[in-house]
Formats: sequence, structure tokens, C-alpha cells
Amino acid sequence: MRTLLAVKNLSVSYRCADASQQRAVEDVSFDIGTGEVLGLMGESGCGKTSIALAVLGLLSKDQGQVSGSIEFLGRELPTMDKNALRAIRGTGISAVFQEPGMALNPVMRVRDQVAEVIHAHRDLKWQQCRADAEVVLARVGLPNSQRIFSAYPHQLSGGQQQRVALAQALACEPALLIADEPTASLDARSQYELLALLRELQRELRISVLLISHSAEVQARLADRLMVMAQGRIVEQGRFEELYRNPAHTCTRAMLRNSPPADAIEDFDFEMVT
Amino acid sequence: MTHRQKLAGSLVLLTSVQILILFAGFFAPYNFAVQDRQRPFAPPTTLHFMDLRGNVHIRPFVYDLEDSGKSILVSQSDSEHCYPILFFVRGMPYKIAGVFTSEVHLFGVEAPGHIFLMGSDAYGRDQFSRFLFGGQISMLAGLIAAILSLSIGIIVGGIAGYYGGWVDELLMRGGELFLALPWLYLLFAVRAALPLHISQWEVFLLLVSVMGLIGWARPARLIRGVVLSARHRNFVVAARGFGASDLYLLRRHVLPETYGVLLTQMTLLIPQYVLAEVTLTFLGLGVGEPLPSWGSLLSSLQQYYVVSSYWWMFLPALLLIPLFLVFYTAADALQELHKSVTL
Repeated sequence: MRTLLAVKNLSVSYRCADASQQRAVEDVSFDIGTGEVLGLMGESGCGKTSIALAVLGLLSKDQGQVSGSIEFLGRELPTMDKNALRAIRGTGISAVFQEPGMALNPVMRVRDQVAEVIHAHRDLKWQQCRADAEVVLARVGLPNSQRIFSAYPHQLSGGQQQRVALAQALACEPALLIADEPTASLDARSQYELLALLRELQRELRISVLLISHSAEVQARLADRLMVMAQGRIVEQGRFEELYRNPAHTCTRAMLRNSPPADAIEDFDFEMVT
Repeated sequence: MTHRQKLAGSLVLLTSVQILILFAGFFAPYNFAVQDRQRPFAPPTTLHFMDLRGNVHIRPFVYDLEDSGKSILVSQSDSEHCYPILFFVRGMPYKIAGVFTSEVHLFGVEAPGHIFLMGSDAYGRDQFSRFLFGGQISMLAGLIAAILSLSIGIIVGGIAGYYGGWVDELLMRGGELFLALPWLYLLFAVRAALPLHISQWEVFLLLVSVMGLIGWARPARLIRGVVLSARHRNFVVAARGFGASDLYLLRRHVLPETYGVLLTQMTLLIPQYVLAEVTLTFLGLGVGEPLPSWGSLLSSLQQYYVVSSYWWMFLPALLLIPLFLVFYTAADALQELHKSVTL
């Protein structure tokens, strides 16, 4: 298994209103191999999404400071020039965010939103991009009908919206998919269906996935390997079953067993979490 | 009345005013420049349906102004002094939108009768015709100046909001400088610096460009605010994550968010610039005689004897008030609708 993404000593800090720095991610290192699903688990506010944004280079300078090394296929992302980075986004690394309703442009038809991703990376005519977008949309399990293709996001259900977001992410067949809480806003049934679809597509396309989720159920279904984060640091990592059997850290135990012991809650700094 | 109805109503009214102005040559009975030195400051012509002997006519008619009824009573026969109003009559040739030539007017009376719906000015020119033709210059000035300042506003506001940081600071502080400029005096200065005799077209361009170039700061600020909040929207971040370029993001995802504000600003700026043109022309800085504009129609009110003796010279000003109110109603309704959509 080849290493696809290697993150070393990644730190992310946000500037607060009083000009002080709030550290969201501290000294995080991990790597993902080709075709591997790496689960990233942690309480909300522990810095999971910050890692996702930092890897894609989506944190603007006035928002947050990113330090450390992020290597994708041997190329350093943070120091890469803008156009080269743009070429990697979407084709090399792609992302699905939580709240699909917010991640889709409310005034663009869903087919066009997928087509624009293809248009940005492939040298194709717009009509061709739209035709390709329909193929991708059908592939993520949306009914193959013009009514769905030319719908606006608000006309679709949450599960359908997330499929559109997934179609956008997979349109150019990226090597790595960052799925940031892909099922958080869905009901149990569509959550199950989406995870099954994700698993199927992951196997079929041989893509690596960085699966960010606080839910042990989601991680159990997909993750080959699991990292547990707490307060900006990775506190434990290993194979899912091993962590489940003997969790070393209180946080791991709390999240995997769904029954936090009293002392774990006391240890936890809820001020920071919220 | 709902905002939607308000908007629809005001748009219908505005469109009909625009049609009246655009086809001024057809709706006006006379050319804007044609003089009748025999009839200076003629009062508005009254339309009659009943002649002096009590006969009711279906077609309205007018009396000749020379004999204002008195001599008609004497002669006991008004047939040679009354002129029925004719529709689709042939009259002076005019051009529609500067291209098509025609000589059919919506209404008119046969010479030597006259119809002055809003009276005539010092040269005996029909005020009604001049009002319609004057709208062409005034509305065009307002429209071009509004488009100009909104274009600058969208570019400056878009760049400032999207890139932020020192670019934002620089552009917005620059904008404040423009907000602080007293544009009326600036225009006086610019006009004073230019040679006295420049062509009408150059005066018009000068007027429009100064108004447009100074007014961009306010729309730019508003657009910057919208862009600032839009660029952190999840779908904008997501599109960037899929490899969209800055220009593409701005064009496709960020600037469409500003269209509501743009539209509202447009309906606010047009009457504002029309009023600015009226003010400047009133002060003699605008397009001069014989071309009419709403400002030059009012400029005769600078004379005391006109103000005191000829009330109908106020009519153009009175007509402008409801027009501006309709514009502001449209802007208000647009803003309310936009609010209810975004919330």
C-alpha cells in the first residue's frame, strides 16, 4: 500500500477577536495509504473539520494559521502555487461536507453544479460536461430522471442533496475523498444507504477516504483504521476492533462505548468544546 | 397591498412612462424646438365637449387661443374657431430611437389651432412635448450614470469583499473619500475648467460621467458587505475545494448573491441621478437650449415673473414628484421581497 497523503506536525490556529490565537489542531501527524479508509473521530470542536480544511488549503490567511507539512503523492501542498493546488482540488483530493443543503449553491441546478466541477478540470465543452454530470449523478444512486437533474437543491431531500454533493466530489475521480460528517444531518435510513453507497464506490473506484465522524456506528461500518482526537490532538490510533476492545484513552472509551464514565466528563474541558 | 403587488404596480407605471418617453415623438403633438412667437406663455389648453350653444360633441375640441371665447359669443358661430382633436394625425416628422422616421402623431389639431396640454413657454413651445422629449435626456442620463456607478461599485466592492485585508482597507477608505466629496461643487469646478463652448453631447457625457464616477462608493460598500458574507458560505468554500478559480467563484457563486442589492440600488440610483441632472441643468450646467431636459424645463422658474404669473410652468416639477415616488416604491418593494427571500 502506497502512502497517498502524509501529514506531519500539522497545527492550525485561529485568530480570535482579541487578536489572541486559539489553537484548534496541535501537532497532528498521520498518513493515508491508497485505497484505505481512515476514520477520524472526536467530540465536536476538537479540530476534525480544521484538519479537513487545512488539507485542502481552504483556510484563508486572515482566518487561520496553518503550519506543518502536508504531502500529497510526494508534493508539499501548503507551499504549492495557487494554480497547481487548484488542479489537485477536485481531481486529487475532494471533499464532501456536512449539511449538504449549505454546501450546494441554492440558485444553481444540481446538474450544473456537478458539471462545473468537470468543466473546471477537463477540457470539455459545457454540453459534454453536463452529459457527464448526469452519468455521475446516476452513479451515486440518484434516479436517472431529468426532473432530478434539473432540480434546485431545495427541491431534493437531505439524502438526495448529500448524493449530489458526493457526485460533485467524485466527478473527477479523485484519489482521496475527505468526507466531513457526511451523514450527520441525515435520518437513520438515508444514513445507512449513503454509507453503503460510499463503501461500494470506495471499493469500486479504489479511492482513499478520510472519514470524519463522531459516530462510532459510521466508523465501524467504513473505517479500516481509526484515529481519535481530543482537544486538537490525536490521542489514540489503531485498527477499529482493537480500539473497541481495549480503548486506552478515556475519550476513545467514551465515544466507542457511548457511555462516558464520570471521570471522563470531569477531565473534559467543555469550555473549549463548545 | 403585498410587496409583490406594489412592485408589479410600480413596474407597470414605470414601463408606461418609459414608453411615453421613448416614443416621445409619437405621443407629443409638436416638435420640442418648434416655436410660436405669437403665443408665449399660453395657458394649458382646455378640452371641451360642449360648445357655447349647448351641443355636446363626442370628439373633444379646443378653441383657438386668440379668441378666448369672447369673440365667439359675438360672432355666434364658433365653427371656424373650434378645432376638433384628431387622432393619428400627420404632423412634423420625428425619429423613434434615432432610427425610424415617422410623421404620425397620436393626437393633434389642425393648424392654425393649437393644443398646449401643459401650456407653452416663453418662446411659445409646447411644454407637454418638451416634457416628453426632455425625459429622454434626463432618464438616459440617470440610467447611464446609475449603470456606470453600479459597474464601478460591483468591481470595487467585489474585489474589496473577496480579497479582504489591505486591498479592502485601501478601496473602502478611498470610497469614503468619494463619499465626502461635494459632487455639486466638483461638477462646478470641472465645468469651469473646461472651455465655455463645448458640444451638447460633450456636456451630456461630462454630466453623466461625473455623476457616475462619484456615486460608486455607496453601492460598492453594500456589495462589499454581501460579498464578505458570501465568500464564507459553505457552498463557496466547497466550490473552491473542487478547484474553482477566484474569478469563477466570484462570477458564478459570489456575485449572484449581490443581484438583489444591485437591483434595489439601481431603482434608488436612477431617480437620484435624474434629480441630480435636473439640479445641474437648472443651474445651467447641463444640456442647453434648444434641447429640452427636465432640468431646463424648470430653469425658467428662476425668473420671478414666471413664478408669479404662469402657474403652469410648475407642472413639469409637479409631474416629477409622483414619478420619483413610483421609483422609490419599486425600490422599497424590491428590498422587502429580497429580504423575505434571503431570510
